[in-house]
Amino acid sequence: MGNADLGIAAPDKCLRTVDLGRRALLLATPALLARPVWSAPAEPRVAALDWALTETMIVLGHDPIAVVAAADWPRFVVEPALPATTADLGLQQEINFELLAYLSPDLVLISPFLQRLAPQIELIAETVNLSIYEDTGSPLALRETVTRDLGVRLGRDAEASRFLSETAADFDALAARAASLQHRPILVVTFVDSRHVRVYGPASLFHNVLSRLGMQNAWTREVGYFGFDMVGIEELATIGDAHLVTFDPVPAGVLPRLAESPIWSQLDFARFDRISILPPVLMFGALPSALRFGRLLIDELESRST
Amino acid sequence: MNMGSRELRPWHLALPLLLMNLALCAVLVSRAFGGDCLSAPIDYDVGKMVLFHAVLPRLAMAILCGFALAFSGAILQQVLRNPLASPTTLGVDAGARLSLAITGAFIPASLGIGRDLVAILGSLSALGLVVFLSRGRNFSSINLVLAGLVVSLFAGAVSVIITLANDRYLVGLFVWGSGSLSQISWVPFLELVPRIALSLLPLIFLWRALEVLEIGDESSSSVGVRVARLRFFAVAVAVLLSAFVTASVGVIGFIGLCAPMIARLAGARRFRDRLVWSGVLGAMLLWLTDAALQVFGGQSSAFLPTGAVTALLGAPLLLFMLPRLRFFAPPQALAVGMAGKPVLPPRLVSLVLIAIVLLLGLTLLVGRGPFGAWQLLGPSGLEAVWLWRVPRWSAACAAGAMLGVAGLILQRLTGNAMASPEILGISAGVILAVAGALFFFGAFGASVQYLVGTLGGLSVLVLILALARRSGFAPERVLLAGIAMTALIDAVVGVLSATGDPNAILLLGWLAGSTSGVGVAEAQFALVAAAVLILPVLLMARWLTILPLGAPTAQSVGVPTKKARLTLLVIAALLTVTATPIVGPLTFVGLMAPIIVVYLGLANTTLAIGASALTGALLMALADAAARTIAFPILLPTGVTAAIVSCPVLLILLQRRWRFA
Repeated sequence: MGNADLGIAAPDKCLRTVDLGRRALLLATPALLARPVWSAPAEPRVAALDWALTETMIVLGHDPIAVVAAADWPRFVVEPALPATTADLGLQQEINFELLAYLSPDLVLISPFLQRLAPQIELIAETVNLSIYEDTGSPLALRETVTRDLGVRLGRDAEASRFLSETAADFDALAARAASLQHRPILVVTFVDSRHVRVYGPASLFHNVLSRLGMQNAWTREVGYFGFDMVGIEELATIGDAHLVTFDPVPAGVLPRLAESPIWSQLDFARFDRISILPPVLMFGALPSALRFGRLLIDELESRST
Repeated sequence: MNMGSRELRPWHLALPLLLMNLALCAVLVSRAFGGDCLSAPIDYDVGKMVLFHAVLPRLAMAILCGFALAFSGAILQQVLRNPLASPTTLGVDAGARLSLAITGAFIPASLGIGRDLVAILGSLSALGLVVFLSRGRNFSSINLVLAGLVVSLFAGAVSVIITLANDRYLVGLFVWGSGSLSQISWVPFLELVPRIALSLLPLIFLWRALEVLEIGDESSSSVGVRVARLRFFAVAVAVLLSAFVTASVGVIGFIGLCAPMIARLAGARRFRDRLVWSGVLGAMLLWLTDAALQVFGGQSSAFLPTGAVTALLGAPLLLFMLPRLRFFAPPQALAVGMAGKPVLPPRLVSLVLIAIVLLLGLTLLVGRGPFGAWQLLGPSGLEAVWLWRVPRWSAACAAGAMLGVAGLILQRLTGNAMASPEILGISAGVILAVAGALFFFGAFGASVQYLVGTLGGLSVLVLILALARRSGFAPERVLLAGIAMTALIDAVVGVLSATGDPNAILLLGWLAGSTSGVGVAEAQFALVAAAVLILPVLLMARWLTILPLGAPTAQSVGVPTKKARLTLLVIAALLTVTATPIVGPLTFVGLMAPIIVVYLGLANTTLAIGASALTGALLMALADAAARTIAFPILLPTGVTAAIVSCPVLLILLQRRWRFA
């Protein structure tokens, strides 16, 4: 992404932005006006079509101009907060190309799941495919690489390095706090309904965070490509001594149903109330989500031990 | 299982099934006491615990649900005199699914009062709507089935959109949709037993009348059976049975369709036998499936919902028995023909066609600006419209036209108003191929997707044609083979979807008929394909006029029946295969467009073909415009929007009198 490109593109965009100012007052989607594009040196205007890349951009101090499913962000990602000026490009499966073309970003970030749309996106802007979904066995390391790559792409190498070292320090601090806790293996699940859970196994980001904090994942079985499997509640019977961690929102009616089950109520974590419901954490998130999980988990365990 | 020439009896099937089931249960019980799942030092006996509170209630649930669903299907097939009727056909499943999706997405807390209650309310309101729509003409079979189909398509489409927009909250809906019998206590089973028993109670009074119904509506009336009232109560019983099951464990649709059919094929001729043996066979089949799943699937880490697996086992069985099938209802009961007088005066025909073309143009121009304001043309004028809107729009129109013509061919050939490309199973084949490729090879480009989908659709077509060959391509058999294929393939997709990985969400978008992958090249291809495939059909108008009159008539006027049918079927398949990758498999347009044309009363077949194409194109164009604008800036998938746009049209048509032969 050279600055020369931006120089050429800027006047055109400037005109358009000014032209549309009046209508913007009628119905607010201020993203289009948020950054005066004629101010030099211009930052590349980036549309991020993957949430993991979006949150990484935000912590690197470069806000995206448009993301997919912006409306859902506060429910599933929570932090880092999405700037209010970000335009919403709609569903990930059905991206609003007319709007994206109108916004005319300089760069579009996609994940491999959108690769099939790359030919179309490339008509609008340079398209970069960065993946946090590869089967490297170490999701955390992969996210570090992606953070660094994104830093290079955005001309924010320094911010990326700083963020990476801060994150490492934060993890170290959390690990130290974890070490002083009397903790059991952690079973990370999300409740699908009152009979099924998704369990997060060795290939998952959550597992990686647990290891980074010197903790154990209670689910040691092999899991699917994306790090989790759906199992019946009865399969948790073999887990033994563990602390169960899940996330909001637990589907309504699940916990009362579980309480009726002899199997569930015989499980150690149910018997001794070792069940924690954490605020939402993006399962397919990048480093900010990983850190958020670690912090929420250690906070919760500490609050229980006192 | 060699049938040979011996007379087949229901117990010839039931007995081996029972033995297999007992053997599997023996394995499960011995496993619990063998303790091979004991790995952690725990202070209670995990094996016994799981046996008594998970394995056994699950088996009991399988038997009960299989019985209830098959019973429900048998009643429906009898009362509607339609071998294709099942709880799914009447919108019961879709209604329950929609109500769960709505409550899950918008008022999640209310699911606390009872998932069961929400699902049952959904089922009953769907049924209520179906009954309301078909209240005229004594709830005649065709009206009831069509209304059920429309309501379930509509409910299904709305819930797909809700699921798409809230995918992260509604994982449970996937699991529920593919029917998991997994249990962790006896409570759900003990709750279900009295509900099933209570639903069966009215049968004591309906029993005799239902038996009499076998001689036909008019004859039944003449011996004093109030057909309309009987139909109402019998359908209510059947729906309650399946609604309770569905609310409790999720969608296990194939048993309700398959078990009664197998019972009939296995020689249960009288209604009484059919009902009892349907129940027994349904219980055995679901038991077998679930026990086998627990025995053989338990060690693998993959999650397999029983409802989906049932279809995997049931569909081949149905296909195997297909050549032995005899329909107990005369096919005329389903006939949709062109014998009625044309409604439209010839002068108006051209006016209507011109109006359609004008509307088509209008749908292209309507859009919304970046700030949501409605406008003709886009924010950046013609250029953006040309680059982004025209490809989507023209591909959608081409797909709609192709599906409209495919639907017309299928409805004419089968004489069945329900016959549409998706029922033939071709769309399902396309999905299966693309879904499989997506899961095994990951994401790929649009053109590869088209190729893979086409191969999948064509393989299904070849399979169906091979299966139906012996019966000389008799319409009912082709249709039934298609239904079996669809169920089989839906099952596989259900299993894939339940895994919940990001590919599944992509797949869901594709299933919903997303046109966001359509570029200029794809649009050009679609337009050319539509022209190339539809023109020959216009030349075959004579065949399409004569074939519905029956093979003897057709042969007497010199139409080569077999060759004509085969040619038309292949063209219908090619049309579907080409259209499905563009707008997804929810091709309701293929169902609606020809029905609208029937309603318009275009007696001339050539004209009807052209009008079907235009109507299909218009429906898709309207869908495209609606998808682009309704929820702006969120774009909705075009295929599902098409269902939502078309269904009300069809509902209005259903309110009028049908002009069927």
